[in-house]
Amino acid sequence: MNTIPDLKQTVTKYKFSGLWRLMDGYRWQYLIAIISMGLAAVAGSALYILLGKFVDDVLPAANMRQLLPLVSLGLIGLALTQGAFTFIGGRLAAQTAENIARTLRNYLYDHIQQLSFTYHDQSQTGELLQRTTSDVDTMRRMFAEQAIGIGRISLLFVVNFTALLTLNVRLAFISVIIIPIVLMISLFFFFKIGKAYEAFQEQEAVLSNRLQENLTGVRVVKAFARQAYEIEAFDVENREKWGRGRRLTLMHAFYWPTTDMLCGTQMVAAFFFAGVMAVHGEITAGMYVAYVGLVVQIIWPIRNLGRLVADVSTGFVSFGRVQTVIKEIKEPMVEGTAVTADRLHGAVTFDDVHFAYENEKEHALHGISFTVKPGKKIALMGSTGSGKTSLVNLLPRFYECSNGRITLDGVDLKRYPRAFLREQIGIVMQEPFLFSTSIRNNISYGVNHAVTDEEMFAAAKAAAVHEVILSFPDGYETMVGERGVTLSGGQKQRITLARTILCDPGLLILDDATSAVDTETDEVIRFALEKLMQNRTTFIIAHRIQTVMDADLILMLENGRIIQRGTHKELLTQEGTYRQIYDLQSRIEEELQTELGELIIEN
Amino acid sequence: MNDYFEEEEFESQINKDTIWRIGKLGLRHWPMMGGFLLFISLVSVVEAFHTYLNKQMIDLGIIAGDMAALKHYALIYLATWPVFVILVMGFILCAGWLGHRVQYDLRQSMFDHLQELPLSYYDKTPTGWLMSRATSDVTRVGDLVSWGFLDMTWTVTSVSASLFFMFLINWKMTLIVIAIIPLLYLVAVNFKKYILIEYRMVRKVNSKITGAFSENISGVRVVKSLRREERNINEFQNLTNEMYSASFKAAWLSALFLPAVQLVSASAIAIIVWYSGVQYEGGMMTIGSIHAFVSYITFMLWPVQQLAAVYASMQQAIASGERIFSLLDTEVDIVDAPDAIDPGTIRGDIVFDHVTFSYVEENAVLTNFNLTIPQGETVALVGPTGAGKSTIVNLLCRFYEPTGGAIRFNGRDYRSMTQASIQSRVGMVLQTPHLFSGTAMENLKYGRLSATDEEVIAAAKMAGADGFIRKLEKGYQTEVGEGGVLLSTGQKQLISLARAIMVNPDLFIMDEATSAVDTLTESLIQKGMDVLMKGRTSFIIAHRLSTIKNADRILVIEDGGISEMGSHAELIKQRGHYYNLYTRQFREQAARV
Repeated sequence: MNTIPDLKQTVTKYKFSGLWRLMDGYRWQYLIAIISMGLAAVAGSALYILLGKFVDDVLPAANMRQLLPLVSLGLIGLALTQGAFTFIGGRLAAQTAENIARTLRNYLYDHIQQLSFTYHDQSQTGELLQRTTSDVDTMRRMFAEQAIGIGRISLLFVVNFTALLTLNVRLAFISVIIIPIVLMISLFFFFKIGKAYEAFQEQEAVLSNRLQENLTGVRVVKAFARQAYEIEAFDVENREKWGRGRRLTLMHAFYWPTTDMLCGTQMVAAFFFAGVMAVHGEITAGMYVAYVGLVVQIIWPIRNLGRLVADVSTGFVSFGRVQTVIKEIKEPMVEGTAVTADRLHGAVTFDDVHFAYENEKEHALHGISFTVKPGKKIALMGSTGSGKTSLVNLLPRFYECSNGRITLDGVDLKRYPRAFLREQIGIVMQEPFLFSTSIRNNISYGVNHAVTDEEMFAAAKAAAVHEVILSFPDGYETMVGERGVTLSGGQKQRITLARTILCDPGLLILDDATSAVDTETDEVIRFALEKLMQNRTTFIIAHRIQTVMDADLILMLENGRIIQRGTHKELLTQEGTYRQIYDLQSRIEEELQTELGELIIEN
Repeated sequence: MNDYFEEEEFESQINKDTIWRIGKLGLRHWPMMGGFLLFISLVSVVEAFHTYLNKQMIDLGIIAGDMAALKHYALIYLATWPVFVILVMGFILCAGWLGHRVQYDLRQSMFDHLQELPLSYYDKTPTGWLMSRATSDVTRVGDLVSWGFLDMTWTVTSVSASLFFMFLINWKMTLIVIAIIPLLYLVAVNFKKYILIEYRMVRKVNSKITGAFSENISGVRVVKSLRREERNINEFQNLTNEMYSASFKAAWLSALFLPAVQLVSASAIAIIVWYSGVQYEGGMMTIGSIHAFVSYITFMLWPVQQLAAVYASMQQAIASGERIFSLLDTEVDIVDAPDAIDPGTIRGDIVFDHVTFSYVEENAVLTNFNLTIPQGETVALVGPTGAGKSTIVNLLCRFYEPTGGAIRFNGRDYRSMTQASIQSRVGMVLQTPHLFSGTAMENLKYGRLSATDEEVIAAAKMAGADGFIRKLEKGYQTEVGEGGVLLSTGQKQLISLARAIMVNPDLFIMDEATSAVDTLTESLIQKGMDVLMKGRTSFIIAHRLSTIKNADRILVIEDGGISEMGSHAELIKQRGHYYNLYTRQFREQAARV
C-alpha cells in the first residue's frame, strides 16, 4: 500500500493556504510548468517581432532572396521552441493535477470508511458521492487547466507588454488602457455568474434527489398508481432547473458582448493610433505589423482571464466542499490501552448505561445495567424503536454511551481499540447488505486470509444457503446485486449470516437476523446457530418466543429501559409484557394443540 | 447481462442515425437552432472581415501614407463591433436557451417513460445506470445540440470565410494554404486515435471509481463491522493508479498535439512568408497581404487545435444519445388497450384462469394456475421462498401480466381495464418498506393526496403507528430521511401499512408486511386489520402463524402451484405440509419447556 499523505493539514482558515499545502511535493514542478508556459509566450511574441523585422529589414534589402530562407527557418525555430515549452508546461501541469486528484481520491475513500456511524447517519449518499467524484474532478481541472492558464496569461501579459515597451512606450500604454476596466467588469459579472451557477448546481442536486427517490421507490409509486403525481412533481423541479439555466445563459449573453465591445474598441483605437504614428513616420511599417500581433496577444487573453478566474472560483467552491468531508474526525481504530488477548471470552457488563443519538433530545437508552457470563446467550425483546439495536451497537463501539460504563472481560470497553472489537464481534444486521461482487467474495468479505472451498461451504451450509447457491447457474461465482441475480430478502439474510459465521467471532450479535426467512428455513438456521452459539456469548434480537426461550437472560426493553429481565421460566411467572407475548403466541399454539387433540380423538 | 450495463465503448464510427435523432431534438425548436447557426456563421464572416480591414489599413493607409484612408477603414472597423457583439449575444442566447431546453425536454420525456416502464424493467436495470442517463448523459446531449453543433458550424464557416478573403487577396498563395490542410488532417487523425484510446480508458476507470465510492458509502456499516477498511483502500488504490496512468497519458498526448499542429501551421507560415517575399518583388504581394495571410492561417488553425477534444466530447455525447434513446425506445409491455375502461370498482370475485407466467422464458414460475376468490375473502399464501407467492400478487396488481391464461375481476379480463383503475384501488404493503424523504405526514398522505390530517391520524392509529409517531421529535412533522433511514424497519413497515389503509382500497395486499414488527404490536394491529379486511378481498403473504391463522382460506404454494388449500383447521386435519410446518415448530418448543 502506498502511503497516503494526511490531508488533515489542508483544512485551513483560508482556502488558498489549504491548496498550497495540498500541492506539497509538486510546487516546484508546477512552478516550472508555469515558467515553461511563459517561455512559450516569449517565443510566440518573438514571432511577431520577427515578422516586423521581415517587413522592415528583409523585404527592402537587396539580398532579400538570400535572407528569405533565414526568416522561414527562424519562424519554424520559434514554433519549435514554443511547442517544446508548451508541451513541457502542459505535461508537468497534468502530472501535478493527476497526482493531486489521485491523492484526494485515495484519501477521501479511506477517510469516509473511517468516519463514525453518527456521521453516516446524518449524511446523504448522493451528497457524499458528489463531493468525492465531481468535486474532485473540478479541482483536478483547476490544476490542469485553469490555474496554469492564469499563470500563462499573466506571463503572456508581462512578456508582450515588455515587447510593446521596447517598440514604443507611448503606444504600449495606449493599448492597455481598457484592461483595468475589463478586469473590473469581469470581476463584477463573475461574482454574479458564480451565484447563478451555484443556484443552477443546487437545483441539479434537488432534481437528482427527486429522481433517485422516484427510482428507488418505483414499486411504491406503481402500487399507489401515483405516476401522474410524480410526473407533476418532477416537472416542477425540472422547469426550475431550465429557468435557472436560462438565467445563467442570460448572464453570459450580457457579459461576453460587453467585454467584446470594450476589447474591440480598444483594439481599433490602438490600431488607429499606431497607424497615425506610422503615417507620420514615428514608427515603421514593420513595427506596426509586429505591434498589431502583440496587441491581439494581450487583449484577448485578458478577456479570457475573467472566465478562468471564475472557473478557478468553482474549483475553490469544490475544495471547500471537499474540506468539509476531510475535517470530520475519524474514528480512532487502534488507540486503546487494553491488553488484548487473542480472543474475547465474552463477559459483558452494562452499568447504568445511557445513550442518545447526536442531535436528539430524547435518550435512546436509559440506565441499562446487566451482566453476562462468557458463553451465555442474551435475548433482547421489545417493540420497534425500543432500543434493542441501539444497545447492541454500543458493543463494537459504533456509538459511544454518554453515561455509565460497559465492560468486556472486566475491562472498560473504552480501553479497547475499536479494530480489535470489530474483529472479535460478529453482527448479522437486520437489513442485509451485499456488495456487487460474486457470492464467494461476499461470503469471504470479512476474513483476512484465503478461504478454502471447504470452509466456505461449511459456513454456507450452517446458514442454510449452500443448496440455494448451488442452484444458481454460476454457483458461488454468481454475481450479486444490481448486475447479477435478484436475491430474495431471506436469501440475502442467509448469505450475510454465512459471512459472519466464516469470521468465527468471539461474540455474536444477531439483530432480528431471520425475520425475512420462512418458517422452515428459519428452523434449519436455528439448528445451525445453536451449534454456533455454544460457548460463544451471543446477543440475539428476536420477536418469536421460541427463538429466545432458551436464552440465559432475556431483557425486555421499552422506550430505552429494561422493564423485565430473567430466564424464560422466570418471566413466565411474572405479570408483564413477556407473559403477554407468550400468551399471544401460545394461545395460537394451544389452539393448535386442541386441534391436534381433536384430530387424535377423531382418529 | 453483466456486460450490458458496463459503460459502453465508443464506437469507432459515428452513428449517423443517432446524430440525426439528436439533431431532431434541436430542430423541434428550429427558430433557436436556425438562429444560432446563422449568428455564428455571421460572426465568422465578421471576424474574417476584421483581418481584411487590417490589411486595408496597412496597405492603403500606412504604406500609402494616406491619412484619410486610414481613418476611413478605422471607422468601418469600429462600426463592425456593435454588429459583432449583437451577433455574439444572439448566438449565446439562442444556443444557451436551446441547450437547456433540450435537456429539459429529454429529462421530462425520460421521466414520463420511466413511470410507464414495467417492474420487470427495473428488476434488471440498476438505479445508478438510470441516474446517469438522466443526468450526465442528458447534459452531454444538450451540450452537443447547442455548443457542439455551434463549434462545428464555426469551424466550417471560419475556414470558408478565411479562404474566401484569402482568395480575394491572392489566389496562388491560397492554393498553398489549401495544400497543407490534408497534412493537418493527417496529424489530427493520428493523434485523435491515440488520445481517444486513453479517453476511453479514463471513462471506464472513472465509472469503476464512482461505483467503488458509491458502494463504500452505502455499505459503510458493513465495511466497518467487518473491519474491511484496509483491504478496501488497497483495492481502491489499484483503481486510482490505473486512473492516474490513463488520464496522465491522455493529458500529455493532448499537450503534444497542440505543438504538433502549431508546428504544421508555422511551416505553412514559413512557406507563405518565403513565397510572399518572392511575390513582393514582382509587386504581387503587399505587406498588408502578408500580414493578413499570417493572421488567417493562425485564425483557421484555432478550430483544428481543438479538434481532438471536440471530437472526443462529440463521440461521448453520441454514445450518451444512444443510451438515452435505448431507454426511450424500451417498449412498455403493459399498455392499456385502446378500448380499456375504468369499471369504477374492482370489487367482485377474482378468478385466476389457467394462468401461466414466467419472468424469463422457459422458466415458468406459474403453470396453469387456477384460483377463484369470492368477493370479501381473506386469502393467506404460505410456502417456501421462491415458490411464487409474490408472483401471484404481482400479477394481481398487474405489475406483470400472465403469459398465458387470464385474470378476471368480477368476470372481466383485467386486460380490458385501465391499469390505473386497478392500481388506484389496491392497497399494497410491501416486504421492504420504502418511504420517501419528507415528513411522516407527507408519507402517509401519499396513499390519498387529498386526505385531511384527521384521516391520516385515524389510519395511523389503525396501523399501530400513531403511538411511536407521536413520540418522535416533531410528531407527524418529523422528517423520516432518505428512504426512511431515520426509522427502524418495524416502524417503516407500520407507516407503509397506514399508507395503504389511506387508500381505502377495494383489494388489500400485504406481502410480509409486518415481519419486523414485534408480536405485541402485531396483535394490537390485528384488531384494526380485522375491521379493515371485513368485506374487502385481501391477500396476505406471511410466515407467522398468528398473521395467517384467521384467514378464510390458506393456500400452500409450492413450485408454482397450490399444494394444499383450506382453512387453518382443515389444513391441520390434512396432516400435510402445512401441518408439518406449524406443528413441528410447536412440538419442538413444547419439548424444550
